[in-house]
Parts: sequence; structure tokens; C-alpha cells
Amino acid sequence: MKKHATHIPHYLSLIGIFAVGLIGFLLFSYDRTFQIAITIAIAISYVVWGLVHHHIHKDLHLSVIIEYVVVAALGLVIVFSLVFST
Amino acid sequence: MLTLYLISHYFFPQQSNNNRPKLLQASSIFLFIALFIILQTSLYLIPKTGLRVLGYAANISVEEVVRLTNEKRAQSGLAPLTLNSTLSNAARMKGEDMINKDYWAHVSPDGTEPWKFFTDAGYQYRYAGENLARDFSNPSSAIDAWMASPTHKDNMLSSKYQEIGIAVLEGDLAGVDTTLIVQLFGTSLSASTQASVPVAHAEEITEEIPVIVEEEVVPLEPPVEPVVVAQAEESLTPTAMPLLALAKPPTTAGQSAVSSITRISPFNATRNISIIVVGLLIMVFTIDGILVARKRIPRVAGRTFAHISFLGMILAIALILRAGRIL
Repeated sequence: MKKHATHIPHYLSLIGIFAVGLIGFLLFSYDRTFQIAITIAIAISYVVWGLVHHHIHKDLHLSVIIEYVVVAALGLVIVFSLVFST
Repeated sequence: MLTLYLISHYFFPQQSNNNRPKLLQASSIFLFIALFIILQTSLYLIPKTGLRVLGYAANISVEEVVRLTNEKRAQSGLAPLTLNSTLSNAARMKGEDMINKDYWAHVSPDGTEPWKFFTDAGYQYRYAGENLARDFSNPSSAIDAWMASPTHKDNMLSSKYQEIGIAVLEGDLAGVDTTLIVQLFGTSLSASTQASVPVAHAEEITEEIPVIVEEEVVPLEPPVEPVVVAQAEESLTPTAMPLLALAKPPTTAGQSAVSSITRISPFNATRNISIIVVGLLIMVFTIDGILVARKRIPRVAGRTFAHISFLGMILAIALILRAGRIL
């Protein structure tokens, strides 16, 4: 329980990043360049969050880094595909 | 038996997959990335092969575009714009030019500026502006997209304009069937009460001052001056027509309404596949997270909640994005 409690501030910050990104995506729906920039910024933030979070919890391993990078890359590819096909 | 094993291997954490569903392992996610790259490459290459299977379905009427534009103006306390047939003809000429020369820009590849179509159609303007849209399935989404863009919104809500011309054209741009909306704004010289100067002089001013102080006209990207401010003593009497009169189907590419095109929409195809892939991953991450927590399986892995949150945001983006581009 204590372990989960220590995660909460981290998760809140992560959700905050995603919420800001989503709002930016909505507000700049007409600006494709800005949407791409937002997506890249969020993907990088997500990976950095993962590195910092696991480092703090002392369970940062190469496989974990790869996991975050690969999921972020998938998200980037999907959003790029969508934005460029609109 | 094999099927059950595969399902279990790909969807549930167990010994055979080192307590991480195969679908969530880096190798599987790489395959999804490759799938999207292949899909986008195919969508890009298909038109180049000459196959005309891609396109955007649309049902857009000129009257609705005008009505919605005036509705937005009314909400801002502005007078409605009058539909002008000469201006609509200029819009049709601009749209046909884009389709014939296969470009998507305010200025054509040979340097033809939008204002040329105004004068070619016989519309002598004091103020002029242009908004473009493509790939929208209905008029309200195009209007909403214009309103979301400050420069396009400025055009739509400018008090300088008194008339509007609309052309909706169906054609092929870069091998993809699409529907173009050309929205031209203007105030004819005849409506102007200001001091007049010769036409030639007016054009000179336009060229010398690409971006004029009062201009509203344009959308950013291409190097088009947002606004044209011109004065002249010669003027044409705008032939404003009732909306219904413009409803008749135009001759060539110009159409008052374009009915559906039954082709594969690149956007919808990408969007549907994205939703399926992301939805599947979220589901498997959720199952994985629950089982690992319940069974207290010790393992080295990223945080399931973080991955689900990130993919949830990607899913939300896929759901809110709509086809259509403005310029």
C-alpha cells in the first residue's frame, strides 16, 4: 500500500502531462506542425518520466528503458500516421 | 489446444512468456510499428501506381457553407455576407486551377496568386480574402476548422467583407479523390464609398505591401498576402444572387453539392486500425496489470498504469481527430 502511495504524485504528474498534451491537440486542431510538436514533446516526457520514476524506485533496467521507448515510438508513429492522413 | 496456448501466450502473463504477455513485449510492439509504416507507405504509393481507390466521401452544399458562415458572423454581431455569383465563379476558377495543376496552396506552382481569379472573373475588389478546405465530410466540420484557426477566423468574421463566393469541387489531388471548398470574400469597388484611384495603382499597392496592416485575409502557410486592400474608380456591380439560385449544379468541376465518393479514405483506414491496435494493447496491459498484482508476480517491467495512460491519450487523439485540412 505504501508503495502505491509513493507512486501517486508521480502518476498525477504523468496524467497532467497527458492532459496538457490532449488539450493542446484540441486547441491547435488546425495547426498540424504544432500537433506534431506536441506529440513529440509528450512522447519524450513519457520516456523521461519512466526513467526518473524507475531510477527513484531503484528498478531502472535496460529492458525497462526499451519498453518505454518502444511504447512511445508506437504512439508517435500512430499519431504521425493520423495527422498526415487528415 | 494450440489456439488456447497461443491466446494464453500472447494475452496473459505466464512462464512461457517470462510473465509478460507476448503481445506487450518489445518485439511485438516493433511489429505494430512496422505495420503502421507499411500501411502509410502503401497509402502514399497507391496513388502513384495509377490506382484510384483512395478518396474522401463528402456531402457539402454551397448553401450550407454560406449559411454557417453567416451564422458565425451573426453570433459576432456582424452583418451577413451576400452570395455573389461573380465571386462564386472566381472560387470555381481557383478550385479548377488547383485540380488541373494538382496543387494545394493559395499560390499556384507557376506563381498565380488568388487575387488573379477575382479579377479574371470580373470582380473588382476593394478587399479580398480566401479560405481553402479539403477532405471534409460535411460543411460544419470545415467551418469549425476555419473558426479554430485565428487567421481563417479573421477572414470569416471581418467587417470589411460584404460578399462571399463559394465553390465546392470534386477532383483528384495527388492521386486521391477529394472535395475542395474554396471560400472567397470580397467587397466590390462599387460598394466602396472611399476615394477612388485607378485600378493599375491599386494593384501596385498590393504588390508593394504584401502584408498590409488591415489585412485579414490569410492563412499562414503559403506566402500569400493575407489581405488585399485596393481602391479603384472602375467598378463592377456585384450580381448578388439568392442562395437558391446558386444551388443549381455548375458545369464542370464546380458543384453546389457533392455526394458521396465510395473510395477508401486514407484517414479512416488509419484511424480504424489505430483504434483497434491501441484498444487491444490497452486491454492486454489491463489484464496483465490485474493478474500480476493478484498473483504478486515479481518481474522487471515498466509501470502498467503509465503505459495505459499514454496509450489512452493516443486513443483519445485518434478519436478526436477528424479528416480535413484547411489553408
